[in-house]
Amino acid sequence: MFSGRPRVLFAAERGNDMLTAMDIAFYAGAALYAGAALISLYYLREANRRALTLSVGFVMAGALCLVATFALRWAGVKRLPLTTVADVLSLLTVLTSILMLWLIRKENVRPLLCFYLPPLAAICLANATIARPDLHEAPRALPGLPLTVHVGLAFLAYGLFYLAGMTSMAYVYQSRRLKQHRTTGLFQRLPSLEELDHTLFRAVKLGYPLFLITLIFGALWARVDPDLLGAHWWLAPKVVLSFAMAAFYALAFHIRRVGRFRGPKLAYAVFFGFALFLTSYLVLALTGLRSYNFWGSF
Amino acid sequence: MSLVVLGLNHHRSPVELRERLAFRPEAVPGALTELHRQLDKAGVAILSTCNRVEIYANHNTASAQRLSSGASAFLSRYHDLPEQAFQDGLYQYEGAETAGHLFRVASSLDSLVIGEAQILGQVHDAYLASQRGQVADKVIHALFQKAFAVAKAVRSRTRIGAGNVSVSSVAVDLAASIFMDLAGKTVMVIGAGETARLTLKSLVERGVGNVLALNRSLEKAKAMAASCEGEPVAFAELGRRLHRADIVITSTAAPGFILHPAEFQDALRQRDYAPMFVIDIAVPRDVEPAVAELDNVYLYNMDDLEEVVAANLDERRREMAHGMAIVERGVEQFSRWMHALEVEPAIAAMADELDAIRTRELESTLSNLPDLTEEQREEVRYLTKRIVRAILQSPMTQLKHEIRHHDPHTVLHLVKRLFGLRDSP
Repeated sequence: MFSGRPRVLFAAERGNDMLTAMDIAFYAGAALYAGAALISLYYLREANRRALTLSVGFVMAGALCLVATFALRWAGVKRLPLTTVADVLSLLTVLTSILMLWLIRKENVRPLLCFYLPPLAAICLANATIARPDLHEAPRALPGLPLTVHVGLAFLAYGLFYLAGMTSMAYVYQSRRLKQHRTTGLFQRLPSLEELDHTLFRAVKLGYPLFLITLIFGALWARVDPDLLGAHWWLAPKVVLSFAMAAFYALAFHIRRVGRFRGPKLAYAVFFGFALFLTSYLVLALTGLRSYNFWGSF
Repeated sequence: MSLVVLGLNHHRSPVELRERLAFRPEAVPGALTELHRQLDKAGVAILSTCNRVEIYANHNTASAQRLSSGASAFLSRYHDLPEQAFQDGLYQYEGAETAGHLFRVASSLDSLVIGEAQILGQVHDAYLASQRGQVADKVIHALFQKAFAVAKAVRSRTRIGAGNVSVSSVAVDLAASIFMDLAGKTVMVIGAGETARLTLKSLVERGVGNVLALNRSLEKAKAMAASCEGEPVAFAELGRRLHRADIVITSTAAPGFILHPAEFQDALRQRDYAPMFVIDIAVPRDVEPAVAELDNVYLYNMDDLEEVVAANLDERRREMAHGMAIVERGVEQFSRWMHALEVEPAIAAMADELDAIRTRELESTLSNLPDLTEEQREEVRYLTKRIVRAILQSPMTQLKHEIRHHDPHTVLHLVKRLFGLRDSP
């Protein structure tokens, strides 16, 4: 499966610490995302709409830098770089940014950048400081097209669930402020509740089918190559968690669609649901329980 | 040069006095012409609003005191009111203080309702009247132009205009923070109180689509509905129609609650839990407070709305310090411009004096050179002019720069001493 390290001249291999074009693009991307987040927070302070436009510009430039990093790395290693932490986080950031720019294309929802960008910037900075050595490692090859599509779609779905989670946070905040009659300051700078509800629903509405297709491609992959994941892959904690997540979003999506469950309760559910799944994934990743062959190892 | 403002406003004068001294908009052009004539062709502007009457005047030679007393006498004569009647409430500022005052006024830092936007339009009208009447001199032009720039900066860089400060506009703001677009929303107005009517009017102006007017008297409901092309509804229909309302305004004289949680729960079910905004401006209240605990119902009573108004006003007051800092910077820039303007004649006189020295020395030299033809003499004259101009070009540019950034009189005095020139009176 892993065909050894390809012959790529990395700066580290040349025995010096010289920054390559890829490093520069990578760092510039992280810096631009940090800048975008700071500018979006400046909007909260000054309510200056131009800050949001500038922030969007920074995000676009940052995403282009990360795409350049990805392209340079792809050209260097001659295979799709999707398996190291640095690659995964960069790609996730770029895809989430594209989805975010699509979600905030209407000017009145643009203040949501203040919720979306700080965590994205934190991921970029963590990537640039902690995971950066990965960039000089050759990635594992992904076996087959179904898995590549599976990973790409999963990133898109996670990006949308992240955006839905952050929008739900904004909804809960606005709704609580309205209930408590505290309607000055930050409250005045954020979109209306109905706008937040629509944005939240739009993100889940697109994220959910993508996630379903992700699961289908994953299952296809397991059938195409039964040796790869082991006989009991569907019982692996990660797979069980993914199906639980699909069921949760299906429920939320359906109940919101038929109008029986909306407003702060739905927002709380989407936010805590996303937080719970994210935490579970992190726990699985950090404890090594992420293996598909989990039950086979006993 | 003397620049003054003389006037009275809501801080120190009662409305009875202000209305006696106010200028009707159509009377302003005539008043400006008369004032301009009476103040010996001074540059003038009149700002007359319901909260203030102010005369701005600038004269190149007359003293500030003369301008102020002339403006006060004009007010007295024009309105046929003895000066003693308004002397106590009068204030006057001179020079940079005049600029500071106008900048505060235009930025709405001196308004009765801080941050209100109307005053800037009124200042603009005052300037336009002065400009059209050709009674605005260079200083009045610059003063008002700077006032607009400062006011714009205050409005855009601070939150002085944030949040509305009237109950009806706060209600509309709150509705806009719940609903994406007010067009297409339905308002149910119950009762016929004045605040309810004003709130409804504001909502209709913001594009609210449908109005359901309810009243115990169907005639009153019809009258209310007719005022906004709404639909009159019998009071008995309240429970059955409540689910259609996105915004409910209640303002009845009922002694107890007319709307309870159960009715809202039913309504929410029927409208798929879409949010409802309930404005209860009745005293005693019409809506049971427990309704506020329901999800997707946002209930505001009169006290809540007034609290929001107070919070918005507080926020505006907190922003005043930022606004004042911008005004101070504006005053500083305007003062420097004024100083530079004041020393312009002195600079011109200095240039003339230097030219006189050139001419004197040139003619003395030419008298010793009788063989030169007239053509050659002209050539020499032209040469000396060019030399003096070339020598002075850089110092004059630097001098103007220094005058803008330092005390102009000290700088000018120093330059004159440097060149051994006389101090002009």
